[in-house]
Amino acid sequence: MKLKSMAAIATTAIVSVSLTSCGDAGGEGEGGGEIAIITVDPANPYWAAEVSRAEELAEELGYEYSVGAHENDPDEQTRLMETAINNDVDGILLDPAGADESIAIVEQAVDADIPVSLVNAEISETGLAEAQFISDNAQGAAAGAEVWAEAMGYEGTYVELIGEPSDNNAPVRSEGYESVLSQYPDMEKVGEEIANWDRQEGQTAMEQLLSRNPDIDGVISGNDEMALGAVNALDEAGRLDEVEVLGFDGSNDAAEAVADGKLVASVLQPIDEATTQSLEVLDEVIRTGESSVEEEKVALDCILITEENAEDLQDFVLED
Amino acid sequence: MSAAVSGSPATGQPTHHEATGSDGVVLRAVDISKTYGATRALKGVNFDVSAGKVTVLFGENGAGKSTLMKILSGVEQPTAGYLELDGERVEFSSTTDAVDKGIAIIHQELNLNANLKVSDNIFLGREIASVRGIHYAEQALATRDLMKRLEEPISPDAFVRDLRVGQQQIVEIARALSTDARILIMDEPTSALSSAEVQVLFKIIRELQRQGVAIVYISHHLEEALEIADHAVVFRDGELVATERASAIDLGWVVRTMVGREADYDFREEAREHGDVVLSIQDVTVADTVSGKFPVDHVSLDVKEGEIVCLFGLMGAGRTELMEALSGRDELAGGRVLLTDHDLAGLNVADRIDLGMGLVPEDRQRDGIIQMQSVGKNMSLASLSSWVRRGFMAVRGENRDIKSQMTRLGVKAEGPEAPITALSGGNAQKVVIGKMLAAQPRVLLLDDPTRGVDVGAKGEIFSLLFSRAGEGLAVLFVTSDVGEALNASHRIVVMDRGQVVTEFDPRHATREEVMAAAEGSGGQPAASTTAEEEGGPR
Amino acid sequence: MSAAATQEKSSGSKINLGAFFIEARALVALAIIIVIFASMSDTYLSVGNLVTVAKDVAFNAIIALGMLMVILHSGIDLSVGSTVGLTGAVAGTLFQGLHLPLTDAVMYPSIWVIVVIAVAVGMLVGWVNGLLIARLNLAPFIVTLGMLYVGRGLTQVLLDGTNITNELRGQEELGNTGFFEVFASSPLGVPISAWVMVAVAIAFSIILTRTPFGRWLYAIGSNERAAALSGVPVNQVKTRVYVLTGLCAGIVGMLQIANIRSSTADLGEFYELNAIAAVVIGGAALSGGRGTVRGTIIGAFVIGFLTNGLVIVGVSPFWQTVITGAVIILAVAVDQIQQILQRRQAQARAVAEARRESGKVPVGPGGHEGPPPEQT
Repeated sequence: MKLKSMAAIATTAIVSVSLTSCGDAGGEGEGGGEIAIITVDPANPYWAAEVSRAEELAEELGYEYSVGAHENDPDEQTRLMETAINNDVDGILLDPAGADESIAIVEQAVDADIPVSLVNAEISETGLAEAQFISDNAQGAAAGAEVWAEAMGYEGTYVELIGEPSDNNAPVRSEGYESVLSQYPDMEKVGEEIANWDRQEGQTAMEQLLSRNPDIDGVISGNDEMALGAVNALDEAGRLDEVEVLGFDGSNDAAEAVADGKLVASVLQPIDEATTQSLEVLDEVIRTGESSVEEEKVALDCILITEENAEDLQDFVLED
Repeated sequence: MSAAVSGSPATGQPTHHEATGSDGVVLRAVDISKTYGATRALKGVNFDVSAGKVTVLFGENGAGKSTLMKILSGVEQPTAGYLELDGERVEFSSTTDAVDKGIAIIHQELNLNANLKVSDNIFLGREIASVRGIHYAEQALATRDLMKRLEEPISPDAFVRDLRVGQQQIVEIARALSTDARILIMDEPTSALSSAEVQVLFKIIRELQRQGVAIVYISHHLEEALEIADHAVVFRDGELVATERASAIDLGWVVRTMVGREADYDFREEAREHGDVVLSIQDVTVADTVSGKFPVDHVSLDVKEGEIVCLFGLMGAGRTELMEALSGRDELAGGRVLLTDHDLAGLNVADRIDLGMGLVPEDRQRDGIIQMQSVGKNMSLASLSSWVRRGFMAVRGENRDIKSQMTRLGVKAEGPEAPITALSGGNAQKVVIGKMLAAQPRVLLLDDPTRGVDVGAKGEIFSLLFSRAGEGLAVLFVTSDVGEALNASHRIVVMDRGQVVTEFDPRHATREEVMAAAEGSGGQPAASTTAEEEGGPR
Repeated sequence: MSAAATQEKSSGSKINLGAFFIEARALVALAIIIVIFASMSDTYLSVGNLVTVAKDVAFNAIIALGMLMVILHSGIDLSVGSTVGLTGAVAGTLFQGLHLPLTDAVMYPSIWVIVVIAVAVGMLVGWVNGLLIARLNLAPFIVTLGMLYVGRGLTQVLLDGTNITNELRGQEELGNTGFFEVFASSPLGVPISAWVMVAVAIAFSIILTRTPFGRWLYAIGSNERAAALSGVPVNQVKTRVYVLTGLCAGIVGMLQIANIRSSTADLGEFYELNAIAAVVIGGAALSGGRGTVRGTIIGAFVIGFLTNGLVIVGVSPFWQTVITGAVIILAVAVDQIQQILQRRQAQARAVAEARRESGKVPVGPGGHEGPPPEQT
């Protein structure tokens, strides 16, 4: 019960933030110029949403823009950043590949007097980027785990599907789940498998886990794709009705599964919001030379997607 | 068990063993055998090398000389037998191992790194170096000294790729000299040298000889080799057949011993009723795009139904190039080839086999057999379509046909399922010939069909060809064995330097005439029947 | 001499026995894996788990059978994984409907049309690979590596950052329903992918053993020059082999999007590597000319039973990866040992023959009587 109210508060908080920032747009100074949008992997719907929001807003603000994707490879990120620096763009919107790995290249851009604003993920140094708008994955995982535990009745056995271990989000989400679930002594984790964020791998892993533990009561997954693979496997085994599955990301497929009752919940990272705010800060710096944001690092709360709001979710944007 | 090589009983010379037993045999090969797959390159060879002596090895291609040299220098390891160095049993795991023990080799093929400098090549693997790195200056100095000795002004800093072939050969020799070897093996060192360079090399050999270096020398230049030899050793079919002191022999002895007995087959008196011309080669030229030369230079030749024509020539006469062009693998630079009245221009190997002309290639291992497959599958490869029923292979019928074919060809194998690599050279060759015969050819081309084939099997192969010729098959085969040319053909066509120089009727020709024609030594063959009727020297 | 002969014989049979074990090593490995895991877990050999294994093995095995064909000619196809993704994306796009140019009409093909077009796209990818490799004589590794990127990129272009999920179900009024009912079915309780694997295995087995094409393929892989001189249409065979690989990838593309009920951009990643591993464990030589359908299927089951068993007994996920890799390396090492043994065996046979033949000539041991040199 307390959880649900918490999610409600989070939702309202974000709405208000977004309202104020919208009010800021269109101040004094000169707009226009070129910005580089450097993201992770637009083939993935999540980052596709990030890119399409950034493109939309950049156009609205009157910028030319280019889009690059580094697929979480710091080398590739360096190449893309250097290209942008060499092209002397007016600003860079970066979804960084690694908190430590990205510091040097951001510094390089700043040294070249090109403002950088971060979105989605952080770097472990402050004072370089104009702003870092990230989603609080630990908070999101905890919120998700709370509703899922409630659906489980705070008891039973479960397994966990883990994302690509080299991706920081995999342990962060896993630990977020753990922080909540460790409070409930009657819930027992009986297995975990790595499924690399992939639906087919998640399905295969779930099939094998089901062979070993046919009587599990729940599944928590590091992302929606793996969760949906698990749903397929459970469906095939005829156990979907009895097993509670938790996803993360709030993809369209997941939203639908939540609406259909196949998933208990998913967790939406406010990527749309983060992109909007990060790009607006960048725009402000380009126009005025400085940003009005007080705190460089802003952790935006994740939004819980449950049966109640699942139908309003489309392409990682929650319609009001 | 004696390790001695028996001498020639006929001449009453002392055996090699007795002759050198006391005066420093440094390296001894004991009962060495070497097999490649089923090919037996060496069969129980015993061989001594003495300090301060030049031992010359004679033998035809594939007689086993080069294989033995590779074993002595550590390039390859023997399948059976062992080596003794200074009376102690040794094993060379690599060439560096052999060099460390004082054995160096100058290879028949140039083994230089074209993109390195001369001095780097000479000291490759034995760089003069300390912890501070390679001392290039010292290497260059040493190289310059070597070149002075060889009377060749090659700069240590020149890149090998920029040198003439002859100069590259000098670098090879310099590399061998730089190791201060006690035993120096020279495999065809003079093939690319001018006569002046050869004389310098011989001077160095004599000098080394005086220093007590043992030299093993291989050359196809028989006279040149005899000039430098102390001992002569003759190889034939992988066996060491004779050892003599150079002072006791002459060129004639070498040739006779190399070629061996008269072939125990003789088809000269076979009936010859030839039909119409089946294969007509008209003014054919083949170009070597790399060197820009013409290995086959305006050759014209007809082969009639039921006729066996021998294309006789030495290595490099252009015979293999002609055969490969006929088979459809290489393109003609000029002229045309007619199979009956069908112009073969633009047709590939498969088309030509379908039309009735196939090639039994020269290099059986590389081009003839499918190593990983059975005897039966090798044999049926060129004619699979004849066993296809409604799209699928009638495997049982294929097996039955192959079995009877194996019996007819006299292939000695456990059955069609036996691996081809288990067969001896002769039997494998019968399989390759059988493969082409199964495709029902009208013309069969064979490039050196008895290469690496045991003496007994040679006769069987020719007997097979003559019986098929009796049924109308036209045969064109290449050889450099005079005995084969004389005893196993209806007509001998001699090729030299890319051109047909003359023709012989084997019933009236002698060995010497044929050899002389092939060597281009000018002496017009007395029994020449149709010389220079077509495509003669120009 | 008779003593020597028996000695030869006995040592020969010992080598044969050793060679037999290595030949059957994949089967032995499979048996060992099954015994070990079955003893550690009761559920390992349960019907449910076996069905799970069969389904997963089937996807890999179908790809591996295609891979076997290219490996037999001593080639490689790194693009199969991307082709799986691409054919899945093509099918997904067709389920969304085709906008007919110059009109507002949208065409919804029936599922069989969709499947045929998607699989044909897979074969087209293979055909392009084959043409480049056979006609232009390019290295298979490079061509298919390039195609790996091209295929993955095209998949991303088609999917444009979204998964295609709901459309796969089809709609009654559009007449494109029934995809899952066929491609995700389990006739007689066995997953459809396993049935398809059996069908492909039988078909490829017939192709390899009962048609000239199969004979040619083995011949090219063992000795391309000799095969060409025997009139084998080398280029044609090579091209078709890649088409077959593309066909297999296309089939798996269809089965897999039905299995996960969605067409995703990452589908099929690393399939090529699992397939190569299965082929090699199954006894095929990467140098070509050696390998069988049976071995490849066994190889796929070795990988399938191994990875499944590691999950079932609860080995840590990180160690699972390590162990799987080690087993693949072990398989390749044994492959090399097998070749060395075979070579020795052939040499021993040749030497034995040499002894036997030279034994006929009545000379003393070790002595080699040359024929008299003088003759005229």
